[in-house]
Amino acid sequence: MKFCVLFCSVICGLPLIASATPNEQGQQAITSQLQPLASKALVLDIKNAGNTLVAVGERGHILRLAATGNWQQVLTPSRNLLTRVTFVDAVNGWAVGHDATVMHSDDAGATWQLQYRSEELARPLMDVYFHDAQQGLAVGAYGLFLRTQDGGKHWQREFHDELLNADDAQYLQQLKTDDPQAYQQESDSILPHFNRLLPLSDGRLLLVGEMGLVAVSNDMGVHWQRLMFPYEGSLFAAKEYNGKVYVGGLRGNLFASDLSLQSWQSITLPQKTTINGITQVAGQLWLVGNSGVIIRLDADNQAQLVRQLKGENLLALAVAPKGGLWLAGTKGLQPITLE
Amino acid sequence: MLEKLVNGLESFLFRHRLWVLLFFACCTAALGWQASQLRMDAAFVKNIPLAHPYMQTYLKHQQQFGGANSIMVAVEDRSGDIFNPEFFKALKEVHDQLFFIPGVDRSQVKSLYSPSTRFTEVVEDGFTGGPVIPADFSTSPAGLQKVKENIEKAGIVGRLVANDYSAAMISAQLLDFDPQTGAPLDTLAFADKLEQQLRDKYQTPQIRIHIIGFAKMAGDVAEGARGVLLFFVIALLVTAAMVYLFSRSVLLTVLPLTCSLVAVVWQLGLLNLIGFGLDPMSILVPFLVFAIGVSHGVQMINAIRQRVSAGMTSKQAAAAAFRALLVPGGVALLSDTVGFMTLLTIDIGIIRELAISASLGVGVIILTNLVLLPLVISFVTLRTAPTTSAVSPAKVWQRLAGFASPRYAWLIILLTVALYGFGLTQASRMQIGDLQRGAPALHESSRYNQDTFFITDHFAITTDVMSVIVEAFPEACTYHDVLQRIDDFEWYARNTPGVEFTASISSVARQVNAGFNEGNPRWLMLPRNPASLAQLVSQIPTTSGLLDGNCSVMPVYLFLQDHKAQTIDGVVAKVKQLAADMDTDKVKFKLASGPVGVMAATNEAVAAAQLPMMLYVYGAVFILCLLSFRSLRATLAVIIPLYVVSTLAQALMTRLNIGLTVSTLPVIALGVGIGVDYGIYILSIMAQKLREGMPVQQAYLDALCERGNAVIFTGLTLAVGVSTWFFSALKFQMDMGILLTFMFLVNMLGAIIILPALAAVFWPKRKLGSGQ
Repeated sequence: MKFCVLFCSVICGLPLIASATPNEQGQQAITSQLQPLASKALVLDIKNAGNTLVAVGERGHILRLAATGNWQQVLTPSRNLLTRVTFVDAVNGWAVGHDATVMHSDDAGATWQLQYRSEELARPLMDVYFHDAQQGLAVGAYGLFLRTQDGGKHWQREFHDELLNADDAQYLQQLKTDDPQAYQQESDSILPHFNRLLPLSDGRLLLVGEMGLVAVSNDMGVHWQRLMFPYEGSLFAAKEYNGKVYVGGLRGNLFASDLSLQSWQSITLPQKTTINGITQVAGQLWLVGNSGVIIRLDADNQAQLVRQLKGENLLALAVAPKGGLWLAGTKGLQPITLE
Repeated sequence: MLEKLVNGLESFLFRHRLWVLLFFACCTAALGWQASQLRMDAAFVKNIPLAHPYMQTYLKHQQQFGGANSIMVAVEDRSGDIFNPEFFKALKEVHDQLFFIPGVDRSQVKSLYSPSTRFTEVVEDGFTGGPVIPADFSTSPAGLQKVKENIEKAGIVGRLVANDYSAAMISAQLLDFDPQTGAPLDTLAFADKLEQQLRDKYQTPQIRIHIIGFAKMAGDVAEGARGVLLFFVIALLVTAAMVYLFSRSVLLTVLPLTCSLVAVVWQLGLLNLIGFGLDPMSILVPFLVFAIGVSHGVQMINAIRQRVSAGMTSKQAAAAAFRALLVPGGVALLSDTVGFMTLLTIDIGIIRELAISASLGVGVIILTNLVLLPLVISFVTLRTAPTTSAVSPAKVWQRLAGFASPRYAWLIILLTVALYGFGLTQASRMQIGDLQRGAPALHESSRYNQDTFFITDHFAITTDVMSVIVEAFPEACTYHDVLQRIDDFEWYARNTPGVEFTASISSVARQVNAGFNEGNPRWLMLPRNPASLAQLVSQIPTTSGLLDGNCSVMPVYLFLQDHKAQTIDGVVAKVKQLAADMDTDKVKFKLASGPVGVMAATNEAVAAAQLPMMLYVYGAVFILCLLSFRSLRATLAVIIPLYVVSTLAQALMTRLNIGLTVSTLPVIALGVGIGVDYGIYILSIMAQKLREGMPVQQAYLDALCERGNAVIFTGLTLAVGVSTWFFSALKFQMDMGILLTFMFLVNMLGAIIILPALAAVFWPKRKLGSGQ
């Protein structure tokens, strides 16, 4: 018997490989929004917030640039793709995205509260602009237009049919009298996508979007005037610099005008690829877009392809307050140095 | 009673010698014919644990997603840049040649030159596009520049063109049946054609051809397995030389070798008779059978010769040797068989086949080498020349017998414990699964693996894929919540260390949605509207492998950085947890398919089988020893050295970076089952002498004088038989060869060094009788 016990203990002591011990992470953690690769997933916008940068992207991801130079993800109450972020001062910011999501932060992006969201609308907000900490606008697909007077606590939808092109306006007018029901339906989706809101230095507001939409407003977007524009494709980016307004969009279309907004000049780009963002870095304008293009615009509006990153689309370029440039795009965030 | 039976058998067999010989001759003829019908058989399903839940998932969806029997041919330009006229000419020729090889599904040949390779571009009013290589293509600089632009627009860099533009890919799907003859595709012949009609024909100093795919690998493995015949011949010759050195007689060399070959013929014939084929792993068995046969044959001729020297006639000596060896030989062979039989508990077809064919082979040896051999020898006249070799054996045995003296015994035991401790720390670090890159069956330096490395390094392609199968309901892909759930699952899986890249219907649908929205990345999401989703998904063909006909089944592919056990374990653990977390009543995430899914299941099965297998094999050996010695001390004296050697074998695996796999798992069971023979042979004599009251050292000396030669010789013969495998073109055969050689040699050393030391301690000076 003694021997038997000895035998068993000897045999059982054989060096056996235990099967993989299950991960000690709790169930909560594995489906948490905080994931190691968040900074490598789709990021659509980066903005300054106080003394740091804040980036937004897929699955409601919001990341902040830490003092260490690493991006730190923060928890948000949304899992929607976020398209834009804006900060009106050092602490107050808003992020917008799909399902008409609007989130607010009052601590420079460390925490976020949901202010508006509508699954029924099921359309994205594409840009957000705040005049001050109270008054703001958010615009998006199919003419989605939201306004707040109280810092985002309440949002009202507005329908701006003055932004229709002439043909559509006429068609809709006719429908309004002929078939009120069809009018309702059509007006819900007849407006072009609103892609970008840009406050101009003279206090006016510029709106660009689908089908060559370029419009201007003198009264914080209550009334809009649609401008004549030499191009009928989609526009995604706008920037004022050095007394000129630049508007860019599909297939490398870039136009510049003085502040009269009447004399649009086409600027030839080295690649016919969509321009997603225009940023001013150290006295020059830089364009980023699909196919990984990074284009520099020289003083005489000569465009140079400075870099082309393979296999990714670029959305935004931002200068960190403490120096350093960051790119955002389909492969997430990456630092870049430009000569 | 046993003695009576043996005596009865002896008188029966030796009285009807001729009839018995005739019976053996007939059997050999019949089974020889059967053996000639034996086919090479490398069915994939034999290598996997079919009852494992992953494999149930795998088999269920194999038809739809798993049957991707594809071949990839990368054409490389050694200059590092493909944009030159010579390269495009070569690529076109290779494309056309592959297209016309019978067995290739011509509609599925994809390369820059296939008409389906098109680019699309977003323009203001929708999409535009065209073939990447236009109809008016010329190899002028302008024409090549145009193609370069189209390649970038088409987004095929990484798939059809290398990331660094140093090579281009031609991929093809294989048909299951030859369209001309209707016969199942002969994979091995197809692999030969690839070699002859592509590589041999188009490879130049400038153009290199790299070919990978299951068919090519199977061809290379079969090619490597053919080398085994040469190994067998070498093993045969070396063994013959050894037997001659041992016996100093041509006759006594030829007879045991012939009887052992008869055993091999019987084993192969029986294999065919019960419907098995021979695969690259169970090719091991004939080697073992031959080696075990020779070792038992040598015991037999040793016993006969000793008796002839003592003045008996051949016939008397043969009959006496038969009587003396039938029981210990039978027990030893039976314990081998039991050792093999324990492998039957492992739920992997190939290991079970190994168990059955090895058991058969060893069973056959009882007939050929314990019965046939003495019968044949009884017919010949043996010279009674004295058989002294260069070193007087007696002196060597005197020295060795010192191991059983108390002084050395404790020293040896101390050393053994130290060795065991060292072995244990090493063995605890032994890994499960395949540890090297590339196809595990082949060496890293093999051309197939070199081709694999080229392709995985230069293209966004990896062969280390695991897929999680999402089982939902018909038209599930038009439901936003289903697709979003798959998308979330994919994202969490992507965030697992070891996962490099993922793909699913959801991530592709997001891309399509952005495409529908002017290529705007701000639309890289899944719309809520079922109609929109249906439209997106209609753009994704079922040939993509991302969905089945009614999208009720949708795999999520995880591309891993490698297939090391550690990587797989981590990913599987995470994915299991995710699946548990994200399963709903209607949407189930099922592990696992793809090459790595199969490896994961195999690793789990191997890991789970290790402990039971050890317990069974040691349990069986324990009971057999207990039965034959009727002494616990004797049993332990046999088993403890075996156990120490098993541990050292595992330590060796760690040191040599050999993982525990389907092919190395059975090695320890084989090693223990065969290794126990040495101990049984030595101790069966010792036990008898000890019972008679002889001191341990004297008993051991007697045992050595009678069986020492044979035991040492047996160890060497077995080791020679498997050591030729070191040179196999197949990695797993080499691993098995190394480990078996180690087990056979070191078990032999254990039996002549550790066993007597233990005996000295177990039977201390006071002369005890048996261990009752």
